[in-house]
Amino acid sequence: MEGRCLHLISTVSPAAKPQSYKTNVEIDWCPGCGDFGILNALVLALQELKIPNEDVVLTGGIGCSSKIPHYVNVNTLHTLHGRSLVQAQAVKMANPRLEVISASGDGDGLGIGSAHFVAAGRRNVDMTYILFDNGVYGLTKGQASPTLPYGEMPKSIETENIKFPVNPLFLGLASGFTFVSRSYSYNIKHLKETLIRAMKHRGLALVDVMQPCVTYNNINTKEFYDPRLYDIEKEGWNPVANNEAEYKQKVPQAVLKSLEWGERIPMGVFIDYQTETYDQKLQKLVPDYGKKNYVMDPIHSNGKPLNDVTDLMNSFC
Amino acid sequence: MHDLNLMVAGPQGSGINFTSDTFAKVMTREGYHVFTNAELFSTIKGEHSYFRVRVCKDMIRSYSERVDILIPLDAKSVMLHTKELSKDGSIIYEDNLEDPRHAAIPYKDILQTVATKFGKALSELNVMKNTVALAGATKMIGLDKEKIKRVISENFASRPKIAEMNNAIVDEVYSDFKPGRTFDLEPAVYKKRMLINSTHAVGMGKVEAGMKFQSYYPITPASDESNYLERLMDKYDFVVEQTEDEIAAINMAIAAANAGLRSATSTSGPGFSLMVEALSYAGMTETPVVIFFYQRAGPATGMPTRHEQGDLKYALSAGHGEFPRVVITPGDHKEAFYDTIEAFNIAEKYQVPVIVLLDKAMAMSNYTVDLFDLSKARIDRGKLILAETKDYLRYKFTDDGISPRSVPGVKGGLVTIAGDEHDEDGHIFTEDAENRIKMMDKRMQKMASVLRDVPADMKVKFYGSPSNKKVVLSWGSAKGPVLDAMEKVGDVSLLQVRMMEPFPVEDVMKYLKGKTIIDVEQNYSGQLADLLKEKTGLDVSARVVKFNGRPIAFEEMVEVLSKPKLNGREVLTFD
Repeated sequence: MEGRCLHLISTVSPAAKPQSYKTNVEIDWCPGCGDFGILNALVLALQELKIPNEDVVLTGGIGCSSKIPHYVNVNTLHTLHGRSLVQAQAVKMANPRLEVISASGDGDGLGIGSAHFVAAGRRNVDMTYILFDNGVYGLTKGQASPTLPYGEMPKSIETENIKFPVNPLFLGLASGFTFVSRSYSYNIKHLKETLIRAMKHRGLALVDVMQPCVTYNNINTKEFYDPRLYDIEKEGWNPVANNEAEYKQKVPQAVLKSLEWGERIPMGVFIDYQTETYDQKLQKLVPDYGKKNYVMDPIHSNGKPLNDVTDLMNSFC
Repeated sequence: MHDLNLMVAGPQGSGINFTSDTFAKVMTREGYHVFTNAELFSTIKGEHSYFRVRVCKDMIRSYSERVDILIPLDAKSVMLHTKELSKDGSIIYEDNLEDPRHAAIPYKDILQTVATKFGKALSELNVMKNTVALAGATKMIGLDKEKIKRVISENFASRPKIAEMNNAIVDEVYSDFKPGRTFDLEPAVYKKRMLINSTHAVGMGKVEAGMKFQSYYPITPASDESNYLERLMDKYDFVVEQTEDEIAAINMAIAAANAGLRSATSTSGPGFSLMVEALSYAGMTETPVVIFFYQRAGPATGMPTRHEQGDLKYALSAGHGEFPRVVITPGDHKEAFYDTIEAFNIAEKYQVPVIVLLDKAMAMSNYTVDLFDLSKARIDRGKLILAETKDYLRYKFTDDGISPRSVPGVKGGLVTIAGDEHDEDGHIFTEDAENRIKMMDKRMQKMASVLRDVPADMKVKFYGSPSNKKVVLSWGSAKGPVLDAMEKVGDVSLLQVRMMEPFPVEDVMKYLKGKTIIDVEQNYSGQLADLLKEKTGLDVSARVVKFNGRPIAFEEMVEVLSKPKLNGREVLTFD
């Protein structure tokens, strides 16, 4: 199930140089931050896929994690708080030839941006969404975020968390994400492989990354995750649904797995289902969508518009 | 008679708009100038609503308080609107009325005849009562029935049986109804014109401008425009995206613009409020996005289907921080078309957000407009780079503050967009004081260029004799009734402000200095008068305002401008 644009690009473009996916910008994350693992895995994944830098767009929202666009040497949109995913979808809709990746934190994606998260599932735009999941709002000094477990009180918050957490995997499955996965920022190999699978997936892919905040969250730490995380695919789960019937049969099982949280925490790919993507659906309404290049095709000739509304004017006469 | 006013009133969903639209279309094809006004209750079915259609052989730009032919489709409409009927007018109604102006058409006999002919029950034809009334009106005006039938057939193109039944009703009315009174309208010289509102004008402007992406969230009265564009996107090859909310709508439009497409969103006050954070972002990121803002009566949900120009100051000031923006205020459908094209040019040339401020009256009032001169339409994409480049910096300092604009996919032209303060390379890890000053200067200096480059008639338009002492200051759809009234009131001119930001101080001063200024606006406070004071120091002598949710009628405009002395505040109230 190779993504169409990836396939096109890798056959026509020269290989990208190793390391060229990192910028020289100084990184301002705290030493030991889980974000470094995600950055490294993403750069490795891009190197392996050899997508020309100019054909990749990486968006971020607001927050520590959402600064990642500045560290990756591709086109970048550092957007507003909560709007990373929605802007990323529009970039892909505007230019389906691009490889689009959206990054945001759990507050950005599931707090202020949750409406977009749910709506994105309805579209199924062919892109990858990386959720940096650490349970706190790091950049504002560690308030509880939507994924912080109920009753927990990391050292940075004033009172214990009395809200139930959002489960990104469950919500992703319920919203219609066609690829739903979880990985871990201290398992670069698994994370890199998961990102590659997500990017190759034709449709909307969620990668929920367990990413400890070393400064503010003293509960969900490396020491917490290391013994708990296990790979569901190594325990026999096959996430691939080849048709709607298999999808409907597998989603409830994937949901059950997503609810596990305790001594054992599942990671891996929960669902991988190839169905109609948004560009295919748009083609039903706009027959030439994706065939023409909206960005590069001219809209005027020496200033004269190429569109002519004479027929439209006549329709009102 | 010189002009004729027809009103169709009744519950929403009873076919009142079909009746008025059909009449307006027939008269347009007869070569008349047609002006319509829709007063809808904010429901789908049942509540009282009414449409006015004014026709005249000469140019008209406003509705009249006078009703010559009243078509009430229920008893409530008889009660409410008979007082507006002129003394020699006619009221077309199915039941007997004590009014000598009643034009009695045998509704039941006509509907029964047609029902029998088509093998239907009489009750099934009740929904076609409005066609009886329509044909009665057109017979009184002396119109050829075949022309009415042609429009009906076009309206029901997908339901030929319905068209046939309605047309049979027209035939029956024309043979059975012997009106006691006729209306002899002065004949018009035929000229081909469109019958459109501003949602059509803006829609056509967007197609002509090569817009490729529009996002929107449903809202009255803006979504008619997006829905019109949805009907065109297969043929003209662009995308209209209905989003989950207005926050998504503006963010998608911004992202599509930064991906290289001409891109826009359309909304009204409540939706614009949700877009404001992203408007500020568009200013900071120098994104060429265009926002079409159809004002309606606020605040909050206000009166969603009613008219107001209450958001001028809001459009000018919305968004945190200081950033450049352009606010354009077309005053009629023709200007809406050309301004739409120019809005995209300005947005791309100066890399700024542009707001095109329209209103409910423009969105819902259909009137006749000459065909647009497409040879005047130009596209200018500014410093857009679509070919391979090198040493690229998205926010490079330049003499005019405008940086070359690359988009994703351009080799060597990696784009780095950031809403934080940034360096020339778009990275954000500087809060350097000197860079901040340079970046603010870079962005803000564009406004001077806009003011310098935009042609004079896009900034202001002056109507009437420059020697008049009295000058009306107005904007947007208030222009129509003012121009119409000026034909009756000789000693007054009009200065229409068409660009509110950057404010064309010199052009405004040229026409207003030393004059007696009468501000005419469809809002409570007279927001343009405040803006005038702020920008020029000039005071207006009177603020003529209307804020009851209805546009200004012709007669009330004439009345107020004819007053020998105006109060400082004059409130128009006609509904």
